[in-house]
Amino acid sequence: MVRGAGRGGRGMPGRGGMGRPPFSRPRVLMLRPPFDLILAEPAFPRCKPAPDDSALTQALLKRHTELCPTPTEQAAVLSLITKLQTVLDNLVVAPGDFAACQLEEVRQVGSYKKGTMMAGKNVADIVVIMKTLPTKEAVEGLSNKVNEELNKLMRAEGLSPVTCASHERGFTVTAAAAVRVLVTTLHQNLRKLEPEVHLDYKVISSHLAAIRHSRWFEENAHHSSIKVLIRLLRDMCARHAGLEPLTPWMIDLLAHHCIMNNPARQALPINVAFRRALSLLAGGLFLPGCAGLPDPCEAAHSRAHTALDLVAQDHAAATAQTLLRVVARGGHRYVLGLQAFEGGKDISTEITVWDGVVVSPLAPAYSDTPEPMDTDDKDEEGTQDGVAA
Amino acid sequence: MMAANNYFGFTHGGTQYGAATASAAYGGQTGYAVAPAATAATYGTQRAAATGYDTAYQAAAATQAAHAHAHAAAAAASAYDASKSAYYQQAAAAYPAAPPQPQPTYDATAKPAYSTPATYAQGARGSGGAKAAYGSVYSAPAPAASYPSQPYSAPAQPAKPLYNAATMYVAQQNKTGGGGGWKNYNKSGVGAGLGRRPKPPPKAQQLHYCDVCRISCAGPQTYKEHLEGQKHKKKEAAVKLAAAGGGGGGARACGASALRCELCDVTCTGADAYAAHVRGIKHQKVVKLHTMLGKPIPSTEPVKLQPAKKTVAGAPKIAFVASGGLSTVGCSADCPPGDKEDEREDDADAEPEVQPVGQDYIEEIRGDDGKALSFNCKLCDCKFNDPNAKEMHMKGRRHRLQYKKKVQPDLEVKVKPSMHQRKLAEAKAQRMLVRDELWARRRMHDGVEEDDRVYWEGADWWRGPHHHHHHAMGMGYGPVGRRPETSDDRHVLAKHADIYPPEQQLQDIQRAVSHTEKALKSLSDALADQGKLKGQPAKVAAKVDDKKEEKPEGKEDGRDNQLFSFVGEGEAAPSGSPATPGPGTAGARALKGVMRVGLLAKGLLLRGDRDVRLVVLCHDRPTVTLLKRVAADLPHHLSRVKGSSEEPKYKVELLPAEGAVSVSDGSVNVLVSLTSAIMREPAEGGDIKRDDKDVLPRQKCLDALAALRHAKWFQARAASLQSCVIIIRIMRDLCRRIPNWTPLNPYAMELLVSGVMQSAGGALSPGEALRRVMEAAAGGLLLDHGPGLRDPCEKDLVDALGNLPPQKREDLTASAQQFLRQIAFRQIHKVLDMEPLPKVKHAAGNWKFPRKRRRSNTDQDPDTPNGDNKVVKKEDNSE
Repeated sequence: MVRGAGRGGRGMPGRGGMGRPPFSRPRVLMLRPPFDLILAEPAFPRCKPAPDDSALTQALLKRHTELCPTPTEQAAVLSLITKLQTVLDNLVVAPGDFAACQLEEVRQVGSYKKGTMMAGKNVADIVVIMKTLPTKEAVEGLSNKVNEELNKLMRAEGLSPVTCASHERGFTVTAAAAVRVLVTTLHQNLRKLEPEVHLDYKVISSHLAAIRHSRWFEENAHHSSIKVLIRLLRDMCARHAGLEPLTPWMIDLLAHHCIMNNPARQALPINVAFRRALSLLAGGLFLPGCAGLPDPCEAAHSRAHTALDLVAQDHAAATAQTLLRVVARGGHRYVLGLQAFEGGKDISTEITVWDGVVVSPLAPAYSDTPEPMDTDDKDEEGTQDGVAA
Repeated sequence: MMAANNYFGFTHGGTQYGAATASAAYGGQTGYAVAPAATAATYGTQRAAATGYDTAYQAAAATQAAHAHAHAAAAAASAYDASKSAYYQQAAAAYPAAPPQPQPTYDATAKPAYSTPATYAQGARGSGGAKAAYGSVYSAPAPAASYPSQPYSAPAQPAKPLYNAATMYVAQQNKTGGGGGWKNYNKSGVGAGLGRRPKPPPKAQQLHYCDVCRISCAGPQTYKEHLEGQKHKKKEAAVKLAAAGGGGGGARACGASALRCELCDVTCTGADAYAAHVRGIKHQKVVKLHTMLGKPIPSTEPVKLQPAKKTVAGAPKIAFVASGGLSTVGCSADCPPGDKEDEREDDADAEPEVQPVGQDYIEEIRGDDGKALSFNCKLCDCKFNDPNAKEMHMKGRRHRLQYKKKVQPDLEVKVKPSMHQRKLAEAKAQRMLVRDELWARRRMHDGVEEDDRVYWEGADWWRGPHHHHHHAMGMGYGPVGRRPETSDDRHVLAKHADIYPPEQQLQDIQRAVSHTEKALKSLSDALADQGKLKGQPAKVAAKVDDKKEEKPEGKEDGRDNQLFSFVGEGEAAPSGSPATPGPGTAGARALKGVMRVGLLAKGLLLRGDRDVRLVVLCHDRPTVTLLKRVAADLPHHLSRVKGSSEEPKYKVELLPAEGAVSVSDGSVNVLVSLTSAIMREPAEGGDIKRDDKDVLPRQKCLDALAALRHAKWFQARAASLQSCVIIIRIMRDLCRRIPNWTPLNPYAMELLVSGVMQSAGGALSPGEALRRVMEAAAGGLLLDHGPGLRDPCEKDLVDALGNLPPQKREDLTASAQQFLRQIAFRQIHKVLDMEPLPKVKHAAGNWKFPRKRRRSNTDQDPDTPNGDNKVVKKEDNSE
């Protein structure tokens, strides 16, 4: 009654709700973090003795040693990347007659930089920031130049020559180890990119993001436990189809969250953190409508897992849910890959029996509905569209 | 000096002209054409030749224009006599946009000129009737009779270009004045003028020349079309602007290196560009045209032009008089210019010292003999055959821009914002400003509106449950905070409304419970009276009276879900210390009080629930004897309590194995358990009474006590949590429906839900709350390695889940995991086992609209908001 009068008095009948961008936003803020047992401990005090988790801990540590790269591998990568860095640094400082492009900066990124390299994957990443725009010709030119210079160095040391192969992200230098040279450009050049002339915008900006990620990692995630957990999780994700779409960056964030984000702010033991990671994934951390993990390297309110599409989100959650129950029944050796499951089958898709308890995989929940899910807070895109309407 | 010359020239010309007018040699405007010819003839060597460039009238107009610029119109008017002022005023009127800009130097030189016309005017007047004709020609507003087909009487519109042309002409003079180019121009003009002096016989050639665009048209029709065309109008506007902007045409030329092609009115910034222009076809055309018009054709043929005037409204422009050729020739001879609009744009800023860039991006296309045939610039997507052109291109502005855009963003390219771009930018800034302001204003309104809305909405949210007076749930959840209702919320609330017991059922239960409680009270009184009658018969009556008086203040039954004590105030003391148990102790009631427990106390009744529980606290260990006594007496007391009405027929049943009596009215079963606090204690001294066969089964009594504590815990902790009661009801329904969830005992479920709510650290909407419960279960909270659910009502660590078998835990977790993903992917209706609700109408961000409208429609015309809605939408779009 009061409001009716108030609205009439304002002389703008019917204005409410029409195209008011600022006020359709709160939905984004409404997203809340998922249930996290570690943080909810006061509400759920342990009332029975903690299970003996030493078996899991042992298995985790054992698997981790398997996953660490061997000294030979490390040495090979180190030697190659040092030379490459020298060559590129020279190009930055004194380009000389090299005119294909101008380099601004060269940075190491990725698992090599973070110290989370895995055995058998001795590929380091290095990002080259160009001052000029990254045309395909420029990348080709840089590739040739690097190849030339690097082979000069190699010859000087009597080593076998390297090869350079261009691809859509830059080029890869291969010798005993491999270094991917990822090409990007200055931030202010991003909007000048054109798809047919330059490298793809997404690729370029992902390389810029990689730089931010390494920087964040250096500052926040240097704890060894985090690196251990990252290796274990990456390995686990690689071996289970549903978890494969998780990007290294999501895994980094997840591992950091699991180890460090607890009331005491002390690193959690690896077994607790591992269970927590599975439990969070199973509890819908990376499902739509969940706050997920905020991406510290992007603008506010961006969530790490939105890079996954909905099918992948569903599949990842379902896989983690099955794995959680498998681990709970003592099947961690299979989950960690210490033991192959029935000739290399994916345990997350099989019905298994543990001491008479049947653990079965779950059906996907997401289906392509004819009407898109855009009404409210389920996906950010939807809410932002609401602004435009 | 030159300007002065000019004016002098004009003066003379004017005089001549006046004479011509006086002689009335021409019927229409032809006179204009004649006059300049005469001027040229008489004062060929003078600068007055410039006036010959156009018709005499045009020259006059030019002077006029200059004057209008130099002085205020009023001043101009005052300088001349009355008959002329009309003319000037009209001219001034044709230049409404021209700001009167005082130009002192110009003024000084101009003055003598002005004085002369004044005398001239007198002279003209002296020459008789001509004056009248003259005046009428120029004071266009009144179309004079002497010029029946007078084009000047036509609307001012077509006349403008001519004025403009004149203005521009003057402006050119101003700009280039003193420059070498000008001198040449002048001289050659003079020469040409001399050469042109002999009048060739009139050629029957109709030329439709637009002075503004410097093109000729094939016929009157095309000419007219040209005049109405976009291009022409643009030029015209530009010219006008240039003239208006004080500096005149010179304003456009940027830098000292600017070269100008006077013929085409094109400014080139460099020698290269200029050369290119001169070579250009456009320039060549103009030269040709002018040559044709000027040199070979003196074209001061009045007769020839007349028909054109008749046919075309904008005649003055058509009447280009070839005397202009005088200057034209000079121009074409010496400023080699040509014109190419685009070229001018591209190359204008290219400076000679610019380094060519982007060599890598230019492909050479070679012929069979290996000779470069052509070049292809990949950046600009263009081809050239000529290596020179390639060089030019690489230095060119367009190429450099492309290079900057695509390769090296820090390359410096001179930016020359065109008039168009600047206008666009200005318009954009303007729009932004307006929009910002609008938003700011709207936001202010909305701040208020939003508060308002949320307040009401919040109240509205809970309206459903509040309607039912289910006393058990009166407490605990107030309006939810400010958050919009999501689809999940709507589903949960709809489901909740569905499972919530109907009013009738609640009333039935309420009545049965209330009657039972009152009957028990009455029974307790009777028992107490009986006991006291033995000891202190005197006091009893008084006490009973007291109690009866107190009744209105005290409660009648256990409707607030707290213990309904049977003990009156006076008796409280003795019963306070039940430490020494003994049957039949004087002063202690056998039945101390009754309390609602279980679903009833917690407010968790669902549709179809019929069984409720009461717990009667006994002073002493409850015995079978006591239970039998209660069972036997209760029907009597029940009938007394319910009064005379026959309606509910209560049936009382003794259930010794349960340690309870059941009261049933046919639809509702009330289970009354007897228990005592003492039952928990005999842990130490219990063995004494263990063999007491008369005592009710211990476990049942303990259960009843636990139920009592659970009810109290629930009221104290769970009910106060946001959404908790709703979700527990929903979960009860879920446990009832889904076999995987059935093993979860109700108390454990309540503990789970309340724990989840409590850990959320803030209010949750119903949809979020349900999802969070599922998250907790899906995350493995209930699995074997989990922490278990600690029972807060026990001193020891007791897991409320008890020994739930592993397979059940597994199934429960798997089910919760599936449910969680279904909720996440908008299939909450599957979890709740209901039909999906239709979407809110304005799904895209306008969720609040329909609600609002519904409410405001109750006191407004329901049709108006739709209309308004549309209007507002349009406004928004137009922003």
